[in-house]
Amino acid sequence: MTRPDLSTSPVPGAAFGTPVLEVDDLHVEFRTRSGVVNAVNGISYSLAEGETLAVLGESGSGKSVSAQAIMGILDSPPAVITGGGIYFQGEDLLKQSPEEQRKVRGPGISMIFQDALSSLNPVYSVGYQIGEMFRAHRGMSKRDAKKHAIELMDRVRIPAAASRVDDYPHQFSGGMRQRVMIAMAIALDPRVLIADEPTTALDVTVQAQVMDLLKDLQRDTGMGLVLITHDLGVVNEVADNVAVMYAGRIVERGTVDDVFGNPAHPYTDGLMSSVPQVEAKGGRLQPIVGQPPNLAAIPSGCPFHPRCSRRRLGAAAAPGRECATDVPPLRLVAPGREAACHYSEEVLGV
Amino acid sequence: MSDDSSGSIAARNERGADRSAESDRSALSEPTTGATAASRTASTPGEELLEIRGLKKHFPLTQGVVFKRTIGHVRAVDGVDLTMRRGETVGLVGESGCGKSTVSKLLVALEKPTDGQILYKGRDVARMSGRALKAYRREVQIIFQDPYASLNPRMTVGDIVSEGWAVHTDVAPKKGRLQRTQELLDRVGLNPDYVNRYPHQFSGGQRQRIGIARALALRPEVIVCDEPVSALDVSVQAQVVNLLEDLQDEFGLSYLFIAHDLSVVRHISDRVAVMYLGSVVEEGTDAQVYGSPSHPYTQALLSSVPLHEPHLRGQKDRILLQGDVPSPANPPSGCRFRTRCWKAQDICAQEAPALVDRGQGHPSACHFAEARTVVPVDVE
Repeated sequence: MTRPDLSTSPVPGAAFGTPVLEVDDLHVEFRTRSGVVNAVNGISYSLAEGETLAVLGESGSGKSVSAQAIMGILDSPPAVITGGGIYFQGEDLLKQSPEEQRKVRGPGISMIFQDALSSLNPVYSVGYQIGEMFRAHRGMSKRDAKKHAIELMDRVRIPAAASRVDDYPHQFSGGMRQRVMIAMAIALDPRVLIADEPTTALDVTVQAQVMDLLKDLQRDTGMGLVLITHDLGVVNEVADNVAVMYAGRIVERGTVDDVFGNPAHPYTDGLMSSVPQVEAKGGRLQPIVGQPPNLAAIPSGCPFHPRCSRRRLGAAAAPGRECATDVPPLRLVAPGREAACHYSEEVLGV
Repeated sequence: MSDDSSGSIAARNERGADRSAESDRSALSEPTTGATAASRTASTPGEELLEIRGLKKHFPLTQGVVFKRTIGHVRAVDGVDLTMRRGETVGLVGESGCGKSTVSKLLVALEKPTDGQILYKGRDVARMSGRALKAYRREVQIIFQDPYASLNPRMTVGDIVSEGWAVHTDVAPKKGRLQRTQELLDRVGLNPDYVNRYPHQFSGGQRQRIGIARALALRPEVIVCDEPVSALDVSVQAQVVNLLEDLQDEFGLSYLFIAHDLSVVRHISDRVAVMYLGSVVEEGTDAQVYGSPSHPYTQALLSSVPLHEPHLRGQKDRILLQGDVPSPANPPSGCRFRTRCWKAQDICAQEAPALVDRGQGHPSACHFAEARTVVPVDVE
């Protein structure tokens, strides 16, 4: 089988210009008493200002752990970053002291989480918690910080911000709490916002409001957005580029139109056909067989091969491309898109 | 059931293996159940099985520790009408707090309705007692949302699946129980040798299968599925949805499928009811409700669902609702949705709209109901 020559093709994400955040061959493992769990196994991506990159994966695919590594909030121990680099505006964060890192995170990179209630401190008012960003990073007085907090609450469209600034997290609804989190995250005008399942706990109408808000804020500030999610619909509506993760690796990367229009990896393909759509009743769902792998015992070769309908084992495989023994590298399979499958060309049908 | 007794059943089962032909017939093995299901569907196609009329459930709000005073009521369910025919899947969608799960608890008689009736085969469930109620509880089973919290961690899978037979002894004769349990596990796609394992040894999807086997064990006619797949990963979700569909065909089951995921509900349901703040606002076939929604809330809800197809992006009519759902302890007068509705007029505050067909082809609880296409039709 011949492979197309892609030496001059653009790599995914190239259209957006200078990257502000780059992750290079990141490895994270958890050293537990019952063994080593390989949560992230060499992922690389870059994010430009104004770009929205969706990291799509199921639970246990390593998508949240990689984000926590970027933010420096991994629980260590047991988590250890065993290799790779995280570059923010060209500087490797992993080589900096915690003090230097702290100066970058906050004004540079910030993060919002899935569960807004447990991410907020229940005994401080939301105004105090939003204002903390200004007090800690800009040395503002309490009074000025509160004034800024009210402005921010207005900006994230919390109604009657001035009268709610002294309210506590439990007095807000789920959607409003997530807005408080967003207000804290954008307080210092970061260049990169990492949103880890920001709308998973929210109802669909509230989800639409919050995603709209995030997109508007991005348009105003030009920040890069890393959107971690398992929801294919959210990715399609919000993101420019998508990286699909499986077993701690990126298995496919490209623009959302390309990846969703014509998947190059059997896992992405399987995900697309296992999800019912609201547009049509559709026929029988085509689930991916089996369970997602245990990260303490990732299958040899391609981690997806035990569940893959296109796997080639033994003599059926091309030399060096045996699915159970040879790990497929993430490689260019078409202009502007990468996939980690020995037989992506077949999946693509080219 | 202790390990001892299940061991002895296993021993007896082995000894009884030679007499399998006989025990097969008496135990509810596949041929028997299949035949019953077939004869049921053949004799009474589409017969009305469940009818819910004006169902209400109000929970008291109390104040004080020693002398509790009732200071109000949370109107969790406030006037729900719904019918379910044999062999049909009725989807119930709505956002959190709309009362979906309270409806499911009322249906399986875990809660008593404040008002209204649940008629099962023409009999009021609230008035049932003794033998009739016991039979009802066997015939109407439930699958819960959280496969981690709904299985007792100290019981083996075999004990969980067969526990119902301790009460409903007539469903499975004592002799063939282990074999029947293993058949059930096999049917839901679990290895029958796992009967002596504990829930923590299974993944979320497998646990949900255990919950399904437990519900099936009592040969129900109706299964209330309360968010059965929302805790599962997408690739596993499809496996469980397919299993539910297969079981429905095989055993002639009727489902009330409760979920907040509009796509899953459309996929599995024959008819769909949309709930908002304790009552049904729109009801119809999946094509009617999704294709030509006529209640403003349904339209807003559907317009918020992100689509999966890149070529359909941006083609959707986006309706962004303002504000939050009002408290069910103090719902708005008249139409519940009027505080967030762009069509609201004076009449909406005065008169609660009935769930009737106003010329749009299916029932909708809006004074100004008007069909509108919100979700683009996928022509590809």
